Amino acid sequence: MAKDGEKSGWKEYIWNPRTREFLGRTASSWGLILLFYLVFYIFLAGLFTLTMYVMLQTLDDHKPTWQDRLSTPGMVIRPKTDETYEIVYNVENTESWDMYAQALDKFLAPYNNSVQAEKNNECVPDQYFLQEDSGDVKNNPKRSCQFNRTILDLCSGINDRYYGYQDGKPCIIIKLNRVIGMLPSKDGQAPFVTCGAKKEDSDKIGELLYFPPNGTFNLMYYPYYGKKAQVNYSQPLVAVKFLNITANQDVNIECRINANNIPIGSDRDKFSGRVSFKLRINTIN
Amino acid sequence: MQSIDYLCILFCFQTEHKMSIEEVCRKFNTDIVQGLTNAKAAEYLIRDGPNALTPPPTTPEWVKFCRQLFGGFSILLWTGAILCFLAYAIQAATEDEPAGDNLYLGIVLTAVVVITGCFSYFQEAKSSKIMESFKNMVPQQALVIREGEKVTINAEEVVGGDLIEVKGGDRIPADIRVVSAHGCKVDNSSLTGESEPQSRSPDCTHDNPLETRNVAFFSTNCVEGTARGIVICTGDRTVMGRIATLTSGLETGKTPIAKEIEHFIHIITGVAVFLGVTFFILAIILGYSWLEAVIFLIGIIVANVPEGLLATVTVCLTLTAKRMAKKNCLVKNLEAVETLGSTSTICSDKTGTLTQNRMTVAHMWFDNQIHEADTTEDQSGASFDKSSVTWLSLARVAGLCNRAQFKAGQDSLPILKRDVAGDASESALLKCIELSCGSVRAMRDRNKKVAEIPFNSTNKYQLSVHETEDPNDNRYLLVMKGAPERILDRCTTILVQGKEQPMDEELKEAFQNAYMELGGLGERVLGFCHVLLPEDQYPKGFAFDTEDVNFQTDNLCFVGLMSMIDPPRAAVPDAVIMVTGDHPITAKAIAKGVGIISEGNETVEDIAARLNIPVSQVNPRDAKACVVHGTDLKDLSQDQMDDILRNHTEIVFARTSPQQKLIIVEGCQRLGAIVAVTGDGVNDSPALKKADIGVAMGISGSDVSKQAADMILLDDNFASIVTGVEEGRLIFDNLKKSIAYTLTSNIPEITPFLFFIIVNIPLPLGTITILCIDLGTDMVPAISLAYETAESDIMKRQPRNPARDKLVNERLISIAYGQIGMIQALGGFFAYFVILAENGFLPSRLVGIRLNWDDRSTNDLEDSYGQQWTYEQRKIVEFTCHTAFFVSIVVVQWADVIICKTRRNSVFQQGMRPSWWFCAFPYSFLIFVYDEIRKLLLRRNPGG
Repeated sequence: MAKDGEKSGWKEYIWNPRTREFLGRTASSWGLILLFYLVFYIFLAGLFTLTMYVMLQTLDDHKPTWQDRLSTPGMVIRPKTDETYEIVYNVENTESWDMYAQALDKFLAPYNNSVQAEKNNECVPDQYFLQEDSGDVKNNPKRSCQFNRTILDLCSGINDRYYGYQDGKPCIIIKLNRVIGMLPSKDGQAPFVTCGAKKEDSDKIGELLYFPPNGTFNLMYYPYYGKKAQVNYSQPLVAVKFLNITANQDVNIECRINANNIPIGSDRDKFSGRVSFKLRINTIN
Repeated sequence: MQSIDYLCILFCFQTEHKMSIEEVCRKFNTDIVQGLTNAKAAEYLIRDGPNALTPPPTTPEWVKFCRQLFGGFSILLWTGAILCFLAYAIQAATEDEPAGDNLYLGIVLTAVVVITGCFSYFQEAKSSKIMESFKNMVPQQALVIREGEKVTINAEEVVGGDLIEVKGGDRIPADIRVVSAHGCKVDNSSLTGESEPQSRSPDCTHDNPLETRNVAFFSTNCVEGTARGIVICTGDRTVMGRIATLTSGLETGKTPIAKEIEHFIHIITGVAVFLGVTFFILAIILGYSWLEAVIFLIGIIVANVPEGLLATVTVCLTLTAKRMAKKNCLVKNLEAVETLGSTSTICSDKTGTLTQNRMTVAHMWFDNQIHEADTTEDQSGASFDKSSVTWLSLARVAGLCNRAQFKAGQDSLPILKRDVAGDASESALLKCIELSCGSVRAMRDRNKKVAEIPFNSTNKYQLSVHETEDPNDNRYLLVMKGAPERILDRCTTILVQGKEQPMDEELKEAFQNAYMELGGLGERVLGFCHVLLPEDQYPKGFAFDTEDVNFQTDNLCFVGLMSMIDPPRAAVPDAVIMVTGDHPITAKAIAKGVGIISEGNETVEDIAARLNIPVSQVNPRDAKACVVHGTDLKDLSQDQMDDILRNHTEIVFARTSPQQKLIIVEGCQRLGAIVAVTGDGVNDSPALKKADIGVAMGISGSDVSKQAADMILLDDNFASIVTGVEEGRLIFDNLKKSIAYTLTSNIPEITPFLFFIIVNIPLPLGTITILCIDLGTDMVPAISLAYETAESDIMKRQPRNPARDKLVNERLISIAYGQIGMIQALGGFFAYFVILAENGFLPSRLVGIRLNWDDRSTNDLEDSYGQQWTYEQRKIVEFTCHTAFFVSIVVVQWADVIICKTRRNSVFQQGMRPSWWFCAFPYSFLIFVYDEIRKLLLRRNPGG
């Protein structure tokens, strides 16, 4: 009995034919509630949109309001690795390194001399390529300097299609993250990359070769004016070639930027102003 | 059903009282002179066990503790914690570096439950300690006759068949069949509710063992005289024991607040599961893996759990319990604090609940006229001629036939404020006479008392015989007071204008009218008469025998009536249904006086009288008020009872026996009312237990009733009940506010996660930050809401309807989640978008960025401006967003806590004027300036 009553009570709660109530409310009552919420949410959405719009109006189109998090630019290597930051391959097994070569091919394609020549200018090296706006008159679009693939020489992949991977002398390409308006040096001294092995691996790393020579980022590529103003900006690169790295062993390598006005990044962030990775070349010989 | 069992236990178990003494002796193998032999007694003791009530089964401490740990709200948190651990386990099994969030969350949830569990356990342990102290420590002694010798033994060793002697002041050690008695009177009030001591004698006077005079009951008190009896029942088999056993066997329902919290859990779980499942399906559709979707599901469900609420509720209840303890209300069960507030019916046989318990003389009738009594200290309000001979006689009778007297050492106090030793109505008379005629003591000294028969319920009068003031007059003056109709029966003449006139029909009629009129005002009416005993029959030195009355107690001269009133308490809530032992007329009058029957509402009888038609012709639906006589109650079927309770808004149960209380309680509960019962006797204890909240008296209450009650008035002050109701309603309101406040922040806490899943933006608010809000910044303001004072209308409101007025209802959820919560979420998101946009990530860039954003190997993630970010760099920005979102929630919660302060009133009506809000503004500005200067100096002087 009681259960029946309960059941019909539920049924009646969901749809009460007598009072024409759905879930305890009449259609008009539900309608009013929905209307209220509709109006309320439209109002809220409007208010939110308005505040967001006002906020977006305060932003500069070409430079973010705050850049303090980027005072030390990040450094990244190519070929891109997974989360373990390891480049491991077997010289004899083509498939194990072919992907690295392909990745670099893809990465370097925009740096082909033909592309660069078509889009970018030749600039005066060893000095900043400043294109400041004159007051309110914007000097846009801004031009960019050529970074020709050939600068990377042995690591350009032009002569050596496999970037040295096939004979155990791999190339790693290093780039410095773009930061708008960053001038990576004072007194005209170009920043340069140095790579070294971590303590216990120092005897395994062998000889290194940097391209361009000394691993410098030429000053003419700075400052960066943002992707809106400087559409075809070519990020400068540094290639490192490991000439006789010890095979069949893990070698932990850290590369860092040497510049006289870039602060050393925090210990927490292993990728600001430096980059660490592990290189292991397996070979039967 | 329960109530019928109960009545049965009281009425149909014993036959000893109908047996002759010899039969009883034979039954127990005992002797009427020698008593039991020691060997027999020892044998019986082994057979029947000690003569003591089995204490109610105590719950082991660990069970109590576990109940606190796993009861009600805790379940929700436990589920949350288990889900968290589950999610962490899944993550640990599938990922290399699982995020610790779920693990921390699980640990924190567990900690919260355990800590609040311990807290409320200790809180309850405290009040149960006070309970312990009530238990009698002194072992009771009993005087038994065994093998012809009187020995004093421990009452526990008394066995059936023992011959026992009791005298005035003793507590009766077991149920005994009286075999001989000398002026023995027992006080059965704790058993039957009668306050008059009852005399005991060997004769069986009634079939009902409770009514018959030859049985005295366990744990009642012998007031005077001595008696000897044979023990017929011991321990749990005594009447008292049976009631106690019955009481402990009664099932009590859940407290209303427990039900509310259950309902609340249902809603929260419903919302959580609905959201969880919706987003689980969404996540699957959006292409997340099953495991990820399960983690999301758990995350959403757990995010809905208001972590801080359990602690808040516990603290709120504790605070109120403490506040009530200050007013001498001991709350045994924390949750009972609220019950009193939602009480819709208070059943009380004490009209003291409703009145001020300050009896004063209000009217008198003499010389065929009703006069208003003058209760002013300086007698400025005199409304009648004080020199009237009738008045002087009346005052003399009232002053002499009165055992009350002022306590010593109060001469400097105003008369009305002096303490009086004596019962309430005699005190009222004493004060009245003292005020108008001067010292009563002097009057009593002039008229020496020679004999007295105190008031008793059988003859319903009190008389005393005095010498007269005039030393030459050797006659004795007999004065008498009592129930007016009884007094009238004894009178043949009446004093009018100082002259004795024969009592004729006309005067009798006048008397009746005055009696009805005064009774109708809700006043207790007493009649007074006197006579000067003729000197020839009662010469000086006549020995008046009050036991065996040897003098004239009729053919007296009626003097007048005096009526007293116990003024009603000002703030009696409408919610009280009166259940009283008073006569229907009195009960109705009091009910009208205190507003239980409001003006303009009539009972069936009133309508019948007004329209001059028989009661049977009145449509019962027309009458909103109802006075039910206790004896009618017995014959009512359940349906009829429901009908009465349902169709009358204002009900008075009059002349209810304590047993009928249980029926009323059950009837009310059947209709969904929340019933409070007050009582002190053992007979009340089943009703106390059955009621949603039983209120026992700390001083006069019996142990059994205290055991059965949920709340104890330590000082027996009924006023505390009204305070209790107010506190209970207040806590309900404040809990509602606390919950509304706490729940609101749930939306800004959940929506970030939802958007994280659906539109793949970086997580705007982290788990740890959510915990900081729930257990940190939200908790203190939520608790502070428990200190909110009552809104002005709190006592004028109808009591909460448990079926409709929920602690958490759709409206509260709708406001907290749908409206305020949404606004808060928008506030948080605005801060989030501002920070990211100003750092270079415009909202358009954020949508869909999640996978790359949370990828540790992507250290050159591009923002809207073309800059590149390492993982750590963007995480720092993300944490800044968490902080900002957190701060936004805190800031919008400030507004929320202020709006939650009131439910109906404007915040400004609740004592905060707008201008006061900004008083501290310059000072908070000062803090900024001061600290900035301090930091400036620090920077200027590094190291010093």
